[in-house]
Amino acid sequence: MSTISHKEVRRPGQVARRRRTALTGWMFLSPAMVVFLTFVAGPFVYAFGLALYDWDLLTPAEFIGLNNFVELFQDPELPRVLLNTFVFAFASIVTHLVFGLLLALGVDQLISRSLSYFVRVSIFFPFLVSWAAVSLLWKYVLDPSFGYFAYYLGLIGIETPNFFSDPAWALPAIIFIDLWRTLGFTFIILLAGLQTVPRELLEAARTDGANAWQTLWNVTIPMMSPILFFATIITFIGAFQIFDPIQIITKGGPNNSTTTMVMYLYEKGFQAFDMGYASAVAILVFIIIMGVTLLQFWGRRKWVHEA
Amino acid sequence: MTTKFNRWRNAGVIVTMSALTLTMAACSGSDAEPDASGGGTAVASGDGTSGEVTFAYLGDASQQDAFEAMFSVFNEQYPDIKLNAQGIPSGDWATFSNTVATRLAGGEKIDIIQIATEGQRLFASKGLLEPLEPYFERDQEFVDDYFDDISPRLAQFNETYASDPDGNVVFVPGGFNTVGMYLNKQVFDESGVEIPADGNWTWDEFVEAGETIKAKTGAYLVSSDAPSGYFTGVMPWLTTNGASTFDDTWTTPTFDSPAAVEAAEFARSLVEMGLSPEPGGQFDMYTQFAQGNLAVIQGGRWPTINLREVDMVDSTVFVQTPTNVSNGSPVGWDAWNITKESENKEAAWTFIKFLMSTEAGEYFATVGGTIVPARESVAASAAFTDNAPEFSTRLSEAMDFATAIPSPDRGAEVQKVIEEAWLTILTGNGDAQETLSKAQQELTALVND
Repeated sequence: MSTISHKEVRRPGQVARRRRTALTGWMFLSPAMVVFLTFVAGPFVYAFGLALYDWDLLTPAEFIGLNNFVELFQDPELPRVLLNTFVFAFASIVTHLVFGLLLALGVDQLISRSLSYFVRVSIFFPFLVSWAAVSLLWKYVLDPSFGYFAYYLGLIGIETPNFFSDPAWALPAIIFIDLWRTLGFTFIILLAGLQTVPRELLEAARTDGANAWQTLWNVTIPMMSPILFFATIITFIGAFQIFDPIQIITKGGPNNSTTTMVMYLYEKGFQAFDMGYASAVAILVFIIIMGVTLLQFWGRRKWVHEA
Repeated sequence: MTTKFNRWRNAGVIVTMSALTLTMAACSGSDAEPDASGGGTAVASGDGTSGEVTFAYLGDASQQDAFEAMFSVFNEQYPDIKLNAQGIPSGDWATFSNTVATRLAGGEKIDIIQIATEGQRLFASKGLLEPLEPYFERDQEFVDDYFDDISPRLAQFNETYASDPDGNVVFVPGGFNTVGMYLNKQVFDESGVEIPADGNWTWDEFVEAGETIKAKTGAYLVSSDAPSGYFTGVMPWLTTNGASTFDDTWTTPTFDSPAAVEAAEFARSLVEMGLSPEPGGQFDMYTQFAQGNLAVIQGGRWPTINLREVDMVDSTVFVQTPTNVSNGSPVGWDAWNITKESENKEAAWTFIKFLMSTEAGEYFATVGGTIVPARESVAASAAFTDNAPEFSTRLSEAMDFATAIPSPDRGAEVQKVIEEAWLTILTGNGDAQETLSKAQQELTALVND
């Protein structure tokens, strides 16, 4: 009796078929890879190289080594810009998670299915509107002389601040507008997460005499923690890159009170024509986002419930 | 190493733009820029030329029709030249300059850039533009006819401020804008306030008129597209008080001079008195004007287009900006050039000559151009004055006392500093002297850097 190895029973043409299968896989992947390499990986590497040059777009670049980074860390405007960005990101995370969760809990309680759909669509709808339209809309609404806000509050004797021109109000106003537009996205994620919480656990908690708050705090939120973790990461990354509403509404003013990192990057690259310096800012943005995200992953062990 | 880097520059610059905006991508949607095809070959054929000419100009959606109509006239006259007109709908000239610079850096071939004063020095200072004297000499008669018909001050400004580092003329001045005021006759009549017959008035008379109008109709006295905008909001008050942001050479800032501080305080007082709306938001100024909630609109030629849309042309009269020292206005002008990179310089020059022609000027003015035509004969003709507010020719008369809007090489950054400071003062968030002194330091750093 002879033994036949696995290799020996392979049918003729099997290797070729496997190769064809692999090739097919690569072909399916290739459009996405080409896009990734061209618009993400390539520019990413190029930006690292560009950060070593002094280049104004219009005349030849000059190699200056690490000078852009040295200059960046001595930049007197950087602390203010970083502070604005972190304040915006922190406020964004807190408000999105708190209000997103509250809305998700409320909508989850709705008995009428049609009403539930309507509310979900209504909350999500602003996210579908472009930043340009949203920004202009709020510029009209919050206009200090002719805006709806000033008009209706004025009728009841309340004087409104000049939201976009007062340094104390401009950043909070942008935070609010960002919340108005993007809350729907966080809400949908959290609602989906909420609906994955096993009902039997909630019923068991209630049977054990837990009140609504205890059920939320001890069952619902721990079970939702992976989704909350995901929402935190996504919100931070998005918030740290805030640009559109600031460019359209305040252009970083008044008194740089709304200049965030990406706004600063834009100013340096496309107003000061200092592409090398702008690349250095872009790299700093990348490092910060990467660092904070890694920190969040490290911290997840302490609060994220792993199934 | 620099050379090696430059070899890859054009190929890599588009992806570099992506790199710099990579971090914006996640939560910002951006519209794709119009595609461009540059290049081609200009071939002299008989009396004319042929080839493809790429022309970049600032034009938002409301101005596109006028430009398109003018381009079609050109295409009828020069069927062998394919005009690739790229309207860039930037909100201001600084943004337009940035967009064009980015495209050039990306390797696009643009033959002609129509650019206003605010961006001219940027392109001229980089040595990107072709000296135009040889073209002038070749078509001397035509060029002389053009320069004889434009304001000598416009020609002088163009020569002084828009030459390249070697002193070559690299721009042909086109249309321009000065700034004055469009008065709502109904509001003035209702308030019993007389409109200055000769178009001139003082700051005191202006405030007095505003207080009467406010008391009798509740309307705001004055607003503009950009109350803290450099051209429309800042310079009119500075120049009517004998001040400016820079000296005549544009090398030394004068933004914190006593006259500038006084002008800023006056502009703030209009807001404090409730005569100007608080800046900071947005409202439909022309609708408010038509509804009688606003008595005066500040601007150049462009409000005429909007006044036509709200059917207010016949109810509006144009006067000069009120003065405290003497008549004043900023002036900014469009200009045309040929880029050194152009592969169709002959065709480009043909198109520029078309733009310089009386016919093009008249046609553009008629179909809704937002500038005062460079040719004085056109600016005084029915093409410009028909369907326009009464005394619109005062816009060109203002050229006699206008100040070229100071626009040093780093124009976009300069503009940002000036507008930020003015907004701070207008909104009462900073003392005028203190704010302008701080801005002065920033401007000094920018021009000396």
